[in-house]
Amino acid sequence: MFVSALNRKLLRELGQLKGQVLTIALVLASGITSFIGLRGTYECLERARDAYYDRYNFAHAFVNLERAPESLRTRIETLAGVASVQTRISEQVTLPMLGMPRPAYGRMLSLPASGSGGLNAVVLRTGRLPLLDHDDEVAVLESFAEAHGLRPGDEIPAVLNGKLRRLRVVGSVLSPEFVYAIRPGAIVNDPQRYAVLWMTRGALASAFRLESAFNELVLRLQPGASEPAVLAALDRLLVPYGGDGAYPRRRQISDQMLSTELGQLAALGGMVPLIFLGVAAFLINLVLGRLISLQRPEIATLKAVGYENGEIARHYLGLVSFVLLPSGLLGALGGVVLGRFVLGIYGALFGFPDLAFGFPFSLFGFALLVSAGAATLGALFAVRSATRLPPAEAMHAPAPARYRRSILERIGLGALAGPSGLMVLREVQRRPLRTLLSSLGVAGATALLILGRFGLDSLDSYLEGTLRREQRQALTVVFSHPVSSRVTGQLARVPGVITAESVRSIPVRARHEQRKRDSVLIGLPEHATLRRLVERNGKLLPLSSDGVLMTTKLSEILGVRVGERLELELRQGERSTVHPVVAGLVDESLGLSIYATSEVVANLEGNQASVSSVLVDVEPAFVPALEQQLRKSPQVIDVSDLRADSQRLRDMNSDVMDVWTFVAITLAASVILGVVYNNARISLSARSRDLASLRVLGFSRAEISRVLIGGLAIEVLIAVPLGLWLGRRWGELFMSGVDQEMFRWAVVVAPTTYAMATVVTLLAATASALWVRRNLDHLDLIAVLKNRE
Amino acid sequence: MRALDAVDFELRAGELLVLLGASGSGKSTLLNILGGLDMPTTGTVRFQGEELTGADEDTLTDYRRHHVGFVFQFYNLIPSLTARENVALVTDIADDPLEPEEALSLVGLGERLDHFPAQLSGGEQQRVAIARAVAKRPSLLLCDEPTGALDFRTGILVLEVIERVNRELGTASAIITHNAPIAELADRVVTLADGRVQSERHPHRALSARDLNW
Repeated sequence: MFVSALNRKLLRELGQLKGQVLTIALVLASGITSFIGLRGTYECLERARDAYYDRYNFAHAFVNLERAPESLRTRIETLAGVASVQTRISEQVTLPMLGMPRPAYGRMLSLPASGSGGLNAVVLRTGRLPLLDHDDEVAVLESFAEAHGLRPGDEIPAVLNGKLRRLRVVGSVLSPEFVYAIRPGAIVNDPQRYAVLWMTRGALASAFRLESAFNELVLRLQPGASEPAVLAALDRLLVPYGGDGAYPRRRQISDQMLSTELGQLAALGGMVPLIFLGVAAFLINLVLGRLISLQRPEIATLKAVGYENGEIARHYLGLVSFVLLPSGLLGALGGVVLGRFVLGIYGALFGFPDLAFGFPFSLFGFALLVSAGAATLGALFAVRSATRLPPAEAMHAPAPARYRRSILERIGLGALAGPSGLMVLREVQRRPLRTLLSSLGVAGATALLILGRFGLDSLDSYLEGTLRREQRQALTVVFSHPVSSRVTGQLARVPGVITAESVRSIPVRARHEQRKRDSVLIGLPEHATLRRLVERNGKLLPLSSDGVLMTTKLSEILGVRVGERLELELRQGERSTVHPVVAGLVDESLGLSIYATSEVVANLEGNQASVSSVLVDVEPAFVPALEQQLRKSPQVIDVSDLRADSQRLRDMNSDVMDVWTFVAITLAASVILGVVYNNARISLSARSRDLASLRVLGFSRAEISRVLIGGLAIEVLIAVPLGLWLGRRWGELFMSGVDQEMFRWAVVVAPTTYAMATVVTLLAATASALWVRRNLDHLDLIAVLKNRE
Repeated sequence: MRALDAVDFELRAGELLVLLGASGSGKSTLLNILGGLDMPTTGTVRFQGEELTGADEDTLTDYRRHHVGFVFQFYNLIPSLTARENVALVTDIADDPLEPEEALSLVGLGERLDHFPAQLSGGEQQRVAIARAVAKRPSLLLCDEPTGALDFRTGILVLEVIERVNRELGTASAIITHNAPIAELADRVVTLADGRVQSERHPHRALSARDLNW
């Protein structure tokens, strides 16, 4: 193969620059890895979701109601904008599974008459669907079946409408409605304790006395239909039947969770690769810049013998292609590994019928294009200075570097530094941009370390705050329907129970001026000790009989201030509309609730002192006995343990976060290595003469190492606090992408995380610097001194 | 091929020696061996009765640090340090040094203490280099073509400084040059050719630096 002389030159120089080329390639490869791994997973999940929703007719709108006749369905079908409607029966059941201290909570749904098909169609995974005339048959959600090892033919106990029955599992299914299956009110999914079951409409209707009637409605809209208009029309039609407000798909819990996760993944996939691309462009500029300044005479010679600027530019840009090739390959490989891993995490969390990481060729092409762009941009600045040089000028050595006294000296601290310290300071000051960009690069890596860990810190802080200050109950006992407030007293008298406090929750629609939002009105005892409300500054906020308290976020959405009145339309019981005063704002991390004393709520409801759930504080030794007792009560639909749920949530996140931390450390180390190694190599090349002079004057290797590494140390010392700050800011940016109506976790970075990021940065920087330091041992004192620079 | 062969050679305390030779004669190799920058493959080197041959890296560093002053053709000043700081580099690590200001006055640069190398002429830079070399009160001052990069007048000025340092501080000094007239200011002149000592003569300081001409 014919290789031009110029290309031979390029190849030989590559040999000399292999350390630099390799480390830059590593940074670029990390960028491509993170882009393909994160963005690829995002696109894969988004495609899977859209295909799933589309193929299985996931509804656009949902309404729960008390009871409506089936004949209403035709009226709903004729509403403008409605494409298709499905009525169904949805009931809560408990599943007192053998071997579990607390029963599992189940949601029982009716299948359409056709079995499969219709809206929110189920995907059969094993077995078959229940047959029309088989009233004891159910299909169960795959995650529950797997958690309990259920197979077709197995029987499970279930309490339906107060009656214990044995149901036969005939198959396991997935549903687009339960991609993320979480118990209402829970903070984490728990496949063991949450089941969704499907039964024939007839069987369920007879169990709950809902023949020829329905209590839930799902529908799909016509393309281009106005969603708010349809929802409003539905509400008007269904309020007389106990409708508690139609809500769109984006407020459906599974879809909401999925969107939140996808949003975070998209943010990560956009944010992280940018760091690497920026750093790679900077490093290429640094290395090429130095190469070109060393090769001024060669460039002059090339020009003198007739090479054109374009040819010379292409020659140096050729180096970029040698960086791109290995980074592309390595990045593609790393991207697939990362993508499979990340998709594995989501696969375990979300129930999709099929999920596989396909290699995203278009993303890879895009990543290569952007990388090439960034690298070329970095190179262009350096190459431009080469092509601009007139040949005659290029033949001369560049003008000697000019130095000034550093800022530290001007404020009188120069004496502290000593001559070798001054060498370091003045060098840093002579190249402020390089110092700044190097520091920014390392800071980016430090920030990445924090970004990989702050989620767990924030979760820990949230859980700790919630458990310690706001929700101090041991168990929450939830009833299938509101019960008399006497139940609270009965529970309080059970042996071992320290306190029992009642909670009444009523779905409401809150309005202020033109704005409205669906919410929950929660009634608590005036001097509650278990469920407490907290202000922004952490101060406890007492409930008073003068008005209601509401979450700050809801007050922002409604534009209502403390002291103003708000309209509350109760969507249960008497369905009255009331106008309480907003007495204060509560700063909670979840939801959009409104709080009032039990008395106020009872008054609003029409003086029915009823209870939706009871919070119980109980001696740990008495928990099993209490649970045993609650199992027998047909009114108890769920007993949950917030502490156990919190621990589960923490454990789930902690496993994933450990792997994330490992990935972040690997990627950050590649950036730090790239920045520190290349900077050190450039410094060594530019200053070998100074360093050799010092050696001749009697300085030891360790002493000249300090001169070489001192500048890098300053860059790293600037980078660490900058990186810690940046990491926190990115965390905040990242969290701001999350649906604020759902989660409002304060971004918290634990001291251990700051320490971890600092230590990893310093270790990676030190290791990279030591690698370069080896070159000082081979410094040829005589050769360096013989040459004029 | 041997750079130096059968060179039996002594430098005495207080002596001003000129090593004369064409390029490739082996004079720089000899100077590097004397300065502890290089080691002969065979033969021995002794400094004040101590064997330097085979000494380890740390011993050689220590030898250069305390006993040897170097002056190079291209000065080798640190561009980021001022004249005073370039000298302080050495006085900071030496045992009983001159003050940097004193060393710079000795070479006639008492007025240009705070100038950076880029602000000094070639001759001035070389004088800073000499001040840096002598500030530690070395036993040995080794000058490798100290006037090689300078014009005639500046070169004379630099030689005067070396002569003065040798006389006032009593430092044994060796000047390497290919410039024959310089030999006249030496106590002794050794001429090298093809790595061997070709001749040795004793001008006994026939001329002082200011009387030289080339």
